[in-house]
Amino acid sequence: MVSTDQKTDVKEKEADCPVVVAVTSHAVFESGGAQDPDGLYVGGIAFPLLQALQKVNERLLKENPAESLLFDVILITTESQQQQQSSRITESIRHHGLKVSRFCFSNEEDFMENLLNNNVHLFLTTNRNEALQGSQKGVLSVLLDEHTASCPTEQLRVLFCGDAVVQSEAGPALASKQAAQSFSAQIGKMRGRFGPFDSPISIALVTSRGGRESCGDALRTLRSLGVNADEAYCLAGAPRGPIKRLLQPHFLLSECFSSN
Amino acid sequence: MVKMSLEPVQVMSGQVAELKVAPSSNGDSAGSWEGKREFDKDHLGLTAKPKPVTGRRARKVEGAVFFPKPENAVTVAVSSRVLFRTEREQKVFEQKGVEEYLRYQIEHENEPFAPGPAFPFVKALEAVNARLRELYPESEELFDIVLVTYNHAHVGIRLINTINHHNLFIERFCMTGGSSPIGYLKAWQTNLYLSADANKVREALTEGIAAATMFMPEKMTEVSESQLRVAFDGDAVLFSDESERIFKAHGLDKFFEHEKENEDRLLDHGPLKGFLEALGKLQKKFYAKGQRLDCPIRTYLVTARSAASSGIRALKTLRAWGLEIDEALFLAGAPKGPMLEKIRPHIYFDDQMFHVEGAAEMGTIAAHVPYGIAQKHNSKHNTSAGK
Repeated sequence: MVSTDQKTDVKEKEADCPVVVAVTSHAVFESGGAQDPDGLYVGGIAFPLLQALQKVNERLLKENPAESLLFDVILITTESQQQQQSSRITESIRHHGLKVSRFCFSNEEDFMENLLNNNVHLFLTTNRNEALQGSQKGVLSVLLDEHTASCPTEQLRVLFCGDAVVQSEAGPALASKQAAQSFSAQIGKMRGRFGPFDSPISIALVTSRGGRESCGDALRTLRSLGVNADEAYCLAGAPRGPIKRLLQPHFLLSECFSSN
Repeated sequence: MVKMSLEPVQVMSGQVAELKVAPSSNGDSAGSWEGKREFDKDHLGLTAKPKPVTGRRARKVEGAVFFPKPENAVTVAVSSRVLFRTEREQKVFEQKGVEEYLRYQIEHENEPFAPGPAFPFVKALEAVNARLRELYPESEELFDIVLVTYNHAHVGIRLINTINHHNLFIERFCMTGGSSPIGYLKAWQTNLYLSADANKVREALTEGIAAATMFMPEKMTEVSESQLRVAFDGDAVLFSDESERIFKAHGLDKFFEHEKENEDRLLDHGPLKGFLEALGKLQKKFYAKGQRLDCPIRTYLVTARSAASSGIRALKTLRAWGLEIDEALFLAGAPKGPMLEKIRPHIYFDDQMFHVEGAAEMGTIAAHVPYGIAQKHNSKHNTSAGK
């Protein structure tokens, strides 16, 4: 992968730590706790995303078996009903072939503590309140919706929104600029482990309102964070819907570019 | 045997009146053949007096539309390889691979690319936009030029720098990092797609998007900076290839016979019909403001058909479609190069590489439409003599 400065790459390799991703059980499993004939929970909205994260890890380790910059997935369960079924949860996870390093059972008041204690870099949930709470505490929180469910499993697709247009519906992650930037840098570094083609991560940039200068600025901002975008779309007011449908991002990030 | 005149017949609308078709048969507006008769006789292939180019276009025009909605605009998508000259970079890609290519691009990020074959065409589209904005400041019926490239976004900054350098008005672009741009072309309701890659063009044509492959000619003759000129071949470009099939399968006589028998049956439409239609719509906006003589868009039909025979069906078809073409040149098989050199179009669409190459040799910017029966034959040995 092309990097503009190869020297820092070598130095930074030593400092890589895992990217901790926390996901709630109601995002991983079908809502309502639906079970299959074997009594295991059925996969839900976050499923393809987790599979894509896993794919990235597999490929990273293939490139370098000693790789430390990996996704570390922890599962957070707040629903008391599910907590009583803790073995069912772990069984279901194992059955679906997902690799979860830690299971956290907490009540709704404490789950934020859990996030912070576990040094979570990315929090995935289908619950708007939880997402808001997470972002208020400075954790990059992504609200997943049904679109996420139809995203590919073979490639993690990250979409940066270059002119910080925050949608009202489930969309861009809510967070502090810092959390977004450091996560983006990690993603950028991961992307850098692979070549231009056949990468398990794909990074796209979309600017919605401004013209080419705003897209150019956004590309430069990303580059300064160590993120080299694969794809770039400057819409200049053209409708976003069709583009988003074609890109199929697992999640959107916009806070890197906001002015606060 | 039909006598083929050596002089290519240049048919102005005035002569078309011989067809004896009722003036309002196509139900079109007042701006039809009769009105054009007087106009065209005096302007035999010469430009209307060119308006001086007004230097750097003022970007802040009061109330004017800069980002038209795709459904209202005439969207022209161009790839980076036809808008600019990227031969050196292509060579790096082919000889040293993609990583070296991307590295090279980033290293040379601040060096703008030189203009490519589609550049004059794009400049002319912008000139038309400037005139449209003057007359209709609130309208979104403008040309919308979108850069669509398979390139990785790494090349994005260099492309933006280049657009800035040449003061082009391109605010929308798509860099797909290797995947097919067809979905985006459709999402943006693209009216015309120009690329250097025939495969991508073919893909677009299959999806119903007008598209053509462009090549860098050895020399590019100077074209007007104030009047957009677009020239089209007839069969397999504006019209379907049905007649060409007859010609290829059964020869010239059968072709003439077939055309005569079917004179009143409309030809089916070809891939570029929609684009001609879009141009016509914009032309009418100028006519509506009394700018017919000064219209910055001019269209040409350059066909190997003959005026007196097979050409009739072509004209009748255009008429029935409600499409006006400013000049129809029936070459009766004569080479197109010299005529195109006189016209100096910003782009000429033809389905046969033989004609595209012939035009390019004389400095005309020609684009290949890989559609129809002609693609199955060896281009170099193909002539469409005496249609």
